[in-house]
Amino acid sequence: MAEVAVCGLTKRFGQLTAVRDMSFTAPAGKVTAFLGPNGSGKTTTLRMVLGLIQPTAGQALIGGLPYRRLPSPRRTVGALLEATGCHPGRRARNELRVLAAAGGFPDARVDEVLVQVDLTAQADRRGRGFSLGMRQRLGIAAALLGDPEVLVLDEPANGLDPAGQAWLRGLLRRLADEGRTVLVASHLLSEVVQTVDQVVIVSAGQLRFAGPLREIGETSQALESAFLSLTSAPG
Amino acid sequence: MSPVIRSEFRKLSTVRAPWLLLAAGPLIIVAGISGLAASGGHLRDPALQSRAFSHVGLTAIVTLMFGILAVAGEYRHGTITDTYLSFPGRRAVIVAKLAVYGLVGAAAGLVSSVTAIVVTAAWWASQGASFQLSTAETWRTLGGGLAANVAFAMIGVGLGAVIRNLAAAAAVALAWIALVEGIVGQLVGAGLARYLPFYASESLDRANLTAATGLLPQWGGGLVLLGYAVIFAGAGLLTTLNRDVT
Repeated sequence: MAEVAVCGLTKRFGQLTAVRDMSFTAPAGKVTAFLGPNGSGKTTTLRMVLGLIQPTAGQALIGGLPYRRLPSPRRTVGALLEATGCHPGRRARNELRVLAAAGGFPDARVDEVLVQVDLTAQADRRGRGFSLGMRQRLGIAAALLGDPEVLVLDEPANGLDPAGQAWLRGLLRRLADEGRTVLVASHLLSEVVQTVDQVVIVSAGQLRFAGPLREIGETSQALESAFLSLTSAPG
Repeated sequence: MSPVIRSEFRKLSTVRAPWLLLAAGPLIIVAGISGLAASGGHLRDPALQSRAFSHVGLTAIVTLMFGILAVAGEYRHGTITDTYLSFPGRRAVIVAKLAVYGLVGAAAGLVSSVTAIVVTAAWWASQGASFQLSTAETWRTLGGGLAANVAFAMIGVGLGAVIRNLAAAAAVALAWIALVEGIVGQLVGAGLARYLPFYASESLDRANLTAATGLLPQWGGGLVLLGYAVIFAGAGLLTTLNRDVT
């Protein structure tokens, strides 16, 4: 199984250093939470992991290879990113059928993942009619399409109602228990405590902590106070 | 069919907007030829028939917009992220779009040509003029128009990949055609102006809209336009490969 290894990643946008010398590992069979305040470089890091942003220095490897060298990226990695869009005029099912064609998957997979994310009833709605929760479920369906070993999810709980969040928790747990690598960026600390094994905390583009959740406490309060003290101190 | 080509065709077949855009081509033909026939009056002049057919080349402005939509539209709707996650090398995406949109541009040119023949035949018949489909002149004009449709679709793909912002790319293309090329043409003089893209397309599709003199021969215009398609496609590829998608 493939782990995600971030090795000395740095990204500068002009004068701004968004990510500075970041290193951590998301192991297979575990849910790894990627935590940090807004603007701490989480999304930039995930986009470097996925080959969408070129690092200024360092590299990110998935099962030992950079994303852009993966022979079959959609079978190896399923990704949900915040800015991933839908064409306003395209139906949900067709959005997935486009991705199935791109990944070389049979159309039957589309119906399977629609069931998996409980979206079958809304599958014929066009993009302009999606709610935020539906958009998230569609994005998760897209990530699952290739039955990937690695899942990289940026704020997947955004827009989900409490029932949806509980469902997502169960899904992430199950995926990790099947031996997959699950790397999930999140703001919701209370959610994290109930689901994750590993925690990576970043602030101002730099790593503050990486390790098992139990090392910083397994209650919401303990995690919150650790998060706040790790992310507030400069340097 | 390769996955990248299949996914590009699926993107097109699952939305309506690009097809509504392409439908503007035949509408331009009907209106343009009807206007010519209604105002011209000398339908026995064989040159007028050729002028009617040259409207096919004018619809290349539609395939240009269609090509721009191919890439810039994906940036606008945020679907480009998923596209590059599927094909992280990106080169295959641009090459596939050039091929698919070039092909659809050819199909659009074909539909425009058939429309032009039908509309011209109807007007000519209604005025009792003889209509000759089989002249070499006819096929050169229609063939040139069709080639212009293909070339501008590919130029659009390249332009959309370089500029990425849909509104900006469309504005730049329209401003160039309506205004900038004419000014540049006057600055550089007729000898060089005929190598500019719109003047070259007028040689190719024989729609001498600007009444310019000293245009290139048809084959020359075709070659120059092919050159522009290659340059824009290459620029689209170069700027796409390593640019950050945020």
